[in-house]
Amino acid sequence: MNLNLIIIITTAVALVAYLVSKVNDKAGAAMTVVGSLFALIAVFLLRDSIGTEITLLYFNFNLTVTGWYFALVMLMAYSMTAFFNPFWMKKLIYPAGYNFLYLLSMAGTLGVFFAKDFITLFVFWETVVWSSAFIIQMGKSRQAAYVYYVISAIGSMATLFAIMFAYGTTGTFVINDAFGGLAAYPGRAIVIFVTFIAAGMAKIGIFPFHVWLPFAHGSAPHTFSPVLSGGLVKMGAFVALLSVTAFPAYKIFGGMASFRGIPLPIYFMMALGAISIVVGTLMAIKQEDAKKLLAYSSVANGGYILIGLLMLDQVGFAGGLMHIVNHAVASAAAFLSIAAVAYRTGTTKMSEMGGMIHRMPITYVVYLIAIISMAGIPPMGGFVSKWLIFQGLADKGLLFIAATAFFGSIGSFLYVFRPLSAVFLGQTFTRDLNKKEVGVFMLFPMVVLTLLSLLTGIFPNIFLRVVTEIQTSLGVLPVTLAENTIVTNNGFLDAFKVFIVFGFGFAIAFVLFIARRKSRRVELMDTYTSAEFIHTRELLHYSHSFYAPFERLYEKAPDTMKLYHKAAVKISEIGNFAEAIFFGIKPARTVLLVMGTVLIGIIAGGVLS
Amino acid sequence: MNAMNFIYAFLMLVFVFIFQTSLTGFNRKVTARLQKRYGARWYQQFLDIFKAMRKDSTTHGWVFDFGVIMALGGIMATVIFIPVAGFRAFPGTDNVFVISYLLAVGMLGMAMSAAGSGNPWASIGVGRALTNMLAYDIPLMIVIFTMIFAFDSASVGELAKMQQGMGILGWNAFRMPLGGIVAVIALMGMLGKKPFDSFIAPAEIASGPMVEYGGKHLGFMFILHEFMTFIEVSLIINLFFGGGATIWEYMLKYAVLYTFTNIVSGVMPRFKIDQAVKYFYRVPLAMAIIQGIVVIFTGLGVTIWF
Repeated sequence: MNLNLIIIITTAVALVAYLVSKVNDKAGAAMTVVGSLFALIAVFLLRDSIGTEITLLYFNFNLTVTGWYFALVMLMAYSMTAFFNPFWMKKLIYPAGYNFLYLLSMAGTLGVFFAKDFITLFVFWETVVWSSAFIIQMGKSRQAAYVYYVISAIGSMATLFAIMFAYGTTGTFVINDAFGGLAAYPGRAIVIFVTFIAAGMAKIGIFPFHVWLPFAHGSAPHTFSPVLSGGLVKMGAFVALLSVTAFPAYKIFGGMASFRGIPLPIYFMMALGAISIVVGTLMAIKQEDAKKLLAYSSVANGGYILIGLLMLDQVGFAGGLMHIVNHAVASAAAFLSIAAVAYRTGTTKMSEMGGMIHRMPITYVVYLIAIISMAGIPPMGGFVSKWLIFQGLADKGLLFIAATAFFGSIGSFLYVFRPLSAVFLGQTFTRDLNKKEVGVFMLFPMVVLTLLSLLTGIFPNIFLRVVTEIQTSLGVLPVTLAENTIVTNNGFLDAFKVFIVFGFGFAIAFVLFIARRKSRRVELMDTYTSAEFIHTRELLHYSHSFYAPFERLYEKAPDTMKLYHKAAVKISEIGNFAEAIFFGIKPARTVLLVMGTVLIGIIAGGVLS
Repeated sequence: MNAMNFIYAFLMLVFVFIFQTSLTGFNRKVTARLQKRYGARWYQQFLDIFKAMRKDSTTHGWVFDFGVIMALGGIMATVIFIPVAGFRAFPGTDNVFVISYLLAVGMLGMAMSAAGSGNPWASIGVGRALTNMLAYDIPLMIVIFTMIFAFDSASVGELAKMQQGMGILGWNAFRMPLGGIVAVIALMGMLGKKPFDSFIAPAEIASGPMVEYGGKHLGFMFILHEFMTFIEVSLIINLFFGGGATIWEYMLKYAVLYTFTNIVSGVMPRFKIDQAVKYFYRVPLAMAIIQGIVVIFTGLGVTIWF
């Protein structure tokens, strides 16, 4: 099977799913499962044909190992989330449209990752943006889709400009040639670099483009948020990757002023990534909605990915690439578990539920493993990639970026713990006492993702071998791998050994625990309450503004969205001003004035020259 | 990795428990003398732990139990990774990031269990503890980052060894004096000593994470606290005070530093949690960054003493 067939078949399945959904929406949703699983397996089997090129109509594809790696991550998010689709059909206004766009956007991502030239890249990119924008507006708010589309459009237009400018300079649309030929024009190269990476930054949600994530992730249908955060955001990472590899940024900017070996244009982008880490972390800490919280955590993690990718070295770059997988898996699992809870309780507001662990224990474990990975705690995958990024930063001595990376890392303990404590732990609300665990069909993808998180954490080298292939194919020195060990300049990490020792410690604690007398089970309400008599479960649950003392420290910080609103008001004021001048009471006078000014300018210019 | 490693690891756990618990007992005496009391006997801490372990306990569901086990398991695993005077139960696993993040597993377990008790007081305590962690860890991590950059190694054992054989001025606490001060202040925060003890809130009757614990659960928490203290003090001893060429030297330095933190704690008032954050993000953070800039851009501190 070749790539053309995969894209054609998934698009065809999308159309069929649309028609089937008109008759029976659940059957149509089942087709999204089939279609995405098919694509996942088919793309996985493409491994042997890596290095070949193929053409479909006007579109040229190049099967690189990088594209293959990204495509697998994306399809993993799509196919696992698809299992939830059949259960959400009743809640959607346009189930047929949802199923169609779900598969269409998936087919679009394949085109992006394997694109050989810019036209292919751009067409498929826009396919994804448009179809996902239409899915997002099926959720809680239409405004979310506007924000998403506007930010995406800013990125897309910037990229289109970069593409055309690069074409104008080098005369070709083939990605590697068009960018490779820019070395002779460093001045233009800066403009192209900044505008091209803009689309990627907008998609990853790097500051100041991060505003769309909480809107879109928070309001999209619960079944699409995992795809957005686990999958689509990684398309931005792909563009960021292109802008340092296909666009040989280090070579072109090599002669420029640099900071600790990083040319300033690249360092500036890394600094934006660092700001995203801080902003994402601080905002995530104070969210009251679980999905918005996870969306801001995606902003922070996008910062790590960007920093890792832009380092383009042996260690940090590998960390960035691996973090793409780890974050996709963890974030998809976390969003799915929140979706499962929302499926039962009907809300994602953290203050409206509690103690779900007693009703949905498996979902709880899924969320727990996901956040352990997301926060970068061993023995899960997130630790390995963050470890690599830290090692890369320490190698180069990038002190300020490292400081924000540490802040984001410790800060993530704070925010990931909030849904854990507010949604799953604490008192079960009276309303939720009769709720049950979700069905097997929904548990399956969550458990698979959980096992993947564990696998990336215990045997990271399985994934890092592909990463080394990518590094070799891009001409970067690959990260050194021994049997179970990752070796860097500053030391090595044996993730398997860490896991075994953790298991050893856990076993001792477990034996010690069961060796002592069995404890008596008491009701959750049977707690120490400082001599108050509280009989309402809801009142004995602490979840609202969990970190109030800490939040108070930065409550006056400016809100980016408000700044944008202010800017919008200012722009419309300027427009009104212009309108008042030109279309005021006596427009003729204004026209005369302007013409007079221009005339005087021309004469003056003529005299002076 | 063979059976001997596991036996060593187990023996190390036993040693650490006995050593640290005795030291805690001794420090209870020191604190008492500061407050003009006679104080309990040095082995009182052992009696307290064994008493708690023998008593009946109540549980609030499986996560309450599981969290306690996960906490102690994670913390014990971290202890096994700590190099003590050149001894490592599992050679080559003492990466500083592994240690500081594996420590987080234990803390997460503790937080999970406390929040799982259903008591809002416990959740408040957890919230404060995590905030406190965000405060002290950033300055400390910046100093450690600087050290990794300076000496090209992230292995705690290696970093300790590099400081040995040059006398007292070879210690990183003197090569990077600002970093050394930051480390000791951060250690006070890590140990929950005054002025950074508001998350444990020992003076309030019940608003800490421990509010629902009794019996063997409480015993577990006591043991866990001893191990955690060992990890935290050991990190600072190894990274900033040259570790120890022999076990005796190590134990001596350890006892002096730990007792020092206790004496400081004995005469300090307490910060509210937001005051602690403000404090850490003003003084120690600034010192850490200055230290980092000095080391990374001038090389001063890496080579100055020889």
